[in-house]
Order: sequence, then C-alpha cells, then structure tokens
Amino acid sequence: MAAIFPSEEWLKGLETKLNSDEKYSEIAKNWEGDLFFHIEPEGNLKEELTFYLDLWHGKCRKAVYKPDASAYPKPVFTLSASYNNITAVLTGKMNPMTAMMTMKLKVQGNMGYMMRNVPTVLDFVRVANDATEEIV
Amino acid sequence: MLPILKINLTTGTSEEFVIPREWERDFLGGASLAARILYPYLTKELDPLSSESPLLFINGPLSGTSGPTTGRFVICGKSPATNLWAESGIGGFWGPELRKAGYDGLWITGKSSSPVYIWIEEGRLEIKSAAHVWGKDVYETQELVKAEVGVKGAHVAVIGEAGERGVLYSSICCDHGRMAGRTGLGAVMGSKNLKAIAVYGKNKIVVEDMERYSALRSEANRALKQDNEAKIIHEVGTAGVANYAEYLGSMPAKYYHQGSFPGVDNISGSKMTESILTGSSACQGCVIACGRVVNLGDGNKRKGPEYETIVGFGPNLLIDNLEEVVRLGELCDKYGMDTISTANTIGLAFYLYEMGKVTKQDTGGIELTWGSFMAARQLIHMIARREGIGDLLSRGSRQFGAAFDAEDEAVQVNGLEVAYHDPRGVSGMALSYATSPRGACHNQSDYFFVDFGHTYEKIGITYFERQAQAEKSANVARHQDWRTFFNSAIMCIFANVDPQMQVDLINAACGLEWTLDDMMRSGERGWNIKRAINNRMGLTAANDKLPKALLEPHTEGGTMGFVPDMPAILETYYEARGWDKETGKPSKEKLLALGLADIAVDLWG
Repeated sequence: MAAIFPSEEWLKGLETKLNSDEKYSEIAKNWEGDLFFHIEPEGNLKEELTFYLDLWHGKCRKAVYKPDASAYPKPVFTLSASYNNITAVLTGKMNPMTAMMTMKLKVQGNMGYMMRNVPTVLDFVRVANDATEEIV
Repeated sequence: MLPILKINLTTGTSEEFVIPREWERDFLGGASLAARILYPYLTKELDPLSSESPLLFINGPLSGTSGPTTGRFVICGKSPATNLWAESGIGGFWGPELRKAGYDGLWITGKSSSPVYIWIEEGRLEIKSAAHVWGKDVYETQELVKAEVGVKGAHVAVIGEAGERGVLYSSICCDHGRMAGRTGLGAVMGSKNLKAIAVYGKNKIVVEDMERYSALRSEANRALKQDNEAKIIHEVGTAGVANYAEYLGSMPAKYYHQGSFPGVDNISGSKMTESILTGSSACQGCVIACGRVVNLGDGNKRKGPEYETIVGFGPNLLIDNLEEVVRLGELCDKYGMDTISTANTIGLAFYLYEMGKVTKQDTGGIELTWGSFMAARQLIHMIARREGIGDLLSRGSRQFGAAFDAEDEAVQVNGLEVAYHDPRGVSGMALSYATSPRGACHNQSDYFFVDFGHTYEKIGITYFERQAQAEKSANVARHQDWRTFFNSAIMCIFANVDPQMQVDLINAACGLEWTLDDMMRSGERGWNIKRAINNRMGLTAANDKLPKALLEPHTEGGTMGFVPDMPAILETYYEARGWDKETGKPSKEKLLALGLADIAVDLWG
C-alpha cells in the first residue's frame, strides 16, 4: 500500500513492502546493517526528520519514525539528504547513484560494504519508490 | 609557470625554454601546453624511438601547490605503440620536486652513447653514468640513485628493464610505485639510454595570489575529505568499484568475451580491505590516498593493485586469486610495464590459444589456459626480456594479433590496448576509446563515472541512461573537454571538486579571471590541438572505431545484449565537435574559433 511521504504511515508501508518483496528479499539476502536516515528541512519540510531502519538478510526487522537516537547508538550507516533531493530520488527524478556521487545524498559508514552491495542499495530504492504514492 | 630545461643527451648540453605567456593563458599547462609546445616536432616521419624524438616531462600550474590532488605531472611525446600523440599522467612527488628545483618541465632529446641518469639539484644539471643501474628493476634503481646523489629529499623517475629493451608499453615510474604507464614512453626514455631522472630543490612553490589560493585549497580539501567518492577510494581503493562494475557488465572478463565474472567478490577492493590491506599511500598533498599497501603474509609491505591491474590480471584472465593478482601487478611494476597493456596483450594470447591460432609450439611449451597465473607470470618475464613469444607480445596486442593473422581480435584502438571499462555496460566509453587522442584510453574521459551517475550540472554534463546511444555524444564531448582541462591543470580524476571551485583555484593560482565557459573552452582547445597533431601524423576518421569484440553482444551479465551503435554515435559526435566527417580533422572554422589560426593553416592551408 503506497502512502504519502514523509509520514509514519509511509515508513510502515515501506517496512511491509520490504518484508514482502521477493526480488528485494533475494538481492538483499546477505545485507546486514541498520541505518539512520536524516532528512534535512527544505521546501515543505520545516524541521529535520529521521527514520531508523534495521535491515537484515533481505528483511526489515524494525522501522522507527522519529527514533530516539540514543536507543541506536551505532548504526552501520547514516545517510542524510535535503528534503528536495530525497523526494527527487523517491519519485525517480534523480538516479540514486547520482545523488550519492554528487553529494546530494551524504553517506557515513563502511563504504567498502556499501560498494560490495550496490545492487541491494538500488533495489531498496526501487521498493521505496513503490511505497511512495505522493510527496507532501 | 617556471622555465623548461631542454637537455640534449647527444651533446650533453642544455638551455632554458621560457613558456610564452599567451600559451599559458590558452593551454594552462600539463598535457595541453605540451601539445602546443611539441606541435612542430611531432611529424608523421618522426620515429618515436629515434634520438630526435622529444620526451617532455611537464607540470601544470597547480602542481605541488597542495590543492586538491595537485601533486601530479605528465609526460608527453610520440608513442612507439601508436605512432600518435603520447601522454601519460603520474602522481607521487617528483613533479612538485622538479618545481622546487626551479623548473616546470624537462624537454629531453638526443641519445646518450651509454646509459646515463640526469641529476638536477637546485637548478644545476649533471648527467651521470647509469651503467651500474642498467638492468635493475624500478624499485632498486630508485634506491640506488637516491643513495648515490646523497640527498635525502631527492625524488627519482625511472624506467625498468622493459624500457631499456624497448617493450612498446613500457612505463616510467617514480616515488616507489607511481606509474606513467600508458603509450610506452618508458621505451622512448630507454631509447635515449636514459635510465633515471633525479630531482631535488628547496624553492618554495608560490602562486599568483597565495593568500586567496590558500583559503580556497583549504576549503576544497575539506570538502574533498567529506566526498562520498573520495571516502570510497580512500577506504577500498579504486577497485572498490569492481562489484558495481560487475553488476553493470562494465567489468570485462575473459578478454572481453564473457559478460559476467562470478569470482568478483574474491578480487574486489572490498576484499582487499578485508584481507591483505595494511595501509594506504598518497601523492603530494592528496587527502584521498588511493594507493594501497598490502602484506601477503611474508612481512613485506607491497604496493596493492588498483582497479585496472586487478581486472586485467583478474577477470580478464579468469583469475580470482587476489594475492596472485598482486604479484602479477608487482612483477609488471618492477619491470616497468603498463599493467593495462600487459594484461590485455596476454589476454589476447590466451584467447588465440583457445582458438587454436597460438599453439604450444609458439609459446615454448607454456599452456595458456584461462585462470593460469603461472602462465601469465611466465609471459610477463618473457615480455620484459623479449624472449621467445615474449618478443611478439612486447609489441602490443595489435602487432601480436597481426602476427597470428588475427589483428581484428585484438581489443585495442589505434595501437593502445583498451582499459577495463566495457562500453557495452557503460556506453559513453565507446566514444572515449574511439576518439581519445592516445588510443583506447579511460583517463582522457573517464565517462564510466558519468554512466554510473556522476553528473556535473554546472558545466552541462548531465545524466543519460548508461546504455544510451547517439543522444549522449555531445555530453561525452563536454566531458572530454572537462578532463582535458584537468590534465592541463594538472589534477587527478578522482578529485570530485566543484567546477566553480576549480575555476576559482585556477584564477587565484594564475592571475586569471576565467569563467566556467573559459575553463571548458581551454579544455576544448587542448582536445583539438591533440587531434590536429594526430591528423598530421596520419590519423583520419577511419581511426575512430572500436574493436570487433566490443561490438558483439554478451548473452549473460549486466550488459543485457547491448552494443554501441558506432555510426550513429560518431555522426552526432562529429557534429558536436565541429569536425569534418570526411577527413576526421577539426574544421577550419572550429580551429579559428578556438584561436588556433596557425594550426588551421597547417591542416587546411
């Protein structure tokens, strides 16, 4: 069920899709890593918004909207992007690799692991696109 | 820029060449300026291995300024591999040291009657006997020459045995394992009986507006440290991209005849980091430090391979043993041979062996079976010494293929072996290879990065689908111009620096007031003068092509059966470039528009 981004409902929908998508489950079967996603305020987003996702072996074990950062002190990755840039990726207007290579999406974490698993990252974005019905 | 020291090795004499101010303004430095300087001397008749053949080591205006990845210089001349324009960029500390010694270039002609090395200390030139280091490998030679000149801070550029013996893809090496590998300039250096060039100086490197430049370089280096790409290259080296390239089908396997390589996880940059990596190394002032330091369990610190070496001796030969790939790369380095061309030419030998065109009798009993690192190792030794089949291999893939009536099987363009970015996976590389001034080169336009998704919107380099066809041509041309600017500045292609920052750095360093358009125009001027040099040396539109293997679809892997439509791609490219489709020359109008009136007269009358 696609939902409006950004919202708690959208994140729940993403979690459901990640756990039901067979292609993602196969491609991401070796992925082990949780992440914070910080969306910087811009346009319609007036204050920073953070998601937490725990991705493990092709499934999403946990998704938290506006998490308490102290509860997850050492995420494997921390991603951040401005609201306009993340919505451009979610609507397919911007290639996710372009976002990363042009620093529109900033990445902190184990870059070697990320590069070994680019197909997983790209398929995660595909599922996130599917989970997005509309942008606020 | 500082003067260039012209050295004639036949006579042992030297004189200073002052770079005309207008040439600096139009061509900046590096390879573009070298093309302007050498234009009159690079003729069709010139034998690249003759004493008349010029060999120009030259800096750019940013060399040694500790700007973002600016510790580089470039070596230029006529290639013995292609008989066309030759340039090969290199990092390390040698170029900045030459600048501190009082020169921004060394222009070497003539031929010494016996092996020599050049020693430049604080602007003073000495030509010294190299009899005792002739035959030594590049690492030993650097250490011996350094010890002999007796100056701790000296830096030494050297050739190995391959350069001495005229292997057509010999490299020039400095600062342990930094290599100017492509186009065979090590053989040109060897043909002059010149084994090494040691430099040392104490001068401070200054630019036009030091205060402004210092502030800008700090800002640029800080940004570069945070850049995603720079972080990837720092952490996992250039081979960090191997898994993604395999996914896209842009990483060649089995001499470009297999669309996928299941063993990629065993040889990638990530694997190296997790297994044998012990550290990293950097060129002068570089905050990225792409160089790998590895330990194979014997306690020795070794140079770890970058992407090209890993793919050339890995998937290209169906070898998935990273430690053996390290050793094969190291062997090439020690002999002073370009790993791209060596691995490519060996790959052709394996391929022709499988076809039955090369036999066990030809190889002297060596079985060239895919995956055999022992066979590859034996061939490397034979190439460097030009023994047996190694003599044929030492002439490069085009000549090796021709010797077995299979020239069209050689994966090369104009005599330079194709690097390891398959245009069936990243189509922009089709033009990069087909139109590069030095043959199938990935550094004149590393367009695979754009096809991966790296755009430069400020200078009009946008994203097209990675397997787009002719609609991408003008974008590739712009990228070539951009990288030609890089190679004149001189900067490393791994420096993801905002284009406006680039212009600001150049303006502060050179006292210019350039805009982004001026910067791109300078790159376009450099691209066109190199093209004009090649035209006068016999290159025509017929040279702009890809080898057969790259135009055959794969049935497996990430390329999904795609092949570049070269006639359509070239048609739009020529239009974008303003080149004459019949002759392959830049049109007279284009040359005049770029301020190259004398070149226009030379090419068109």
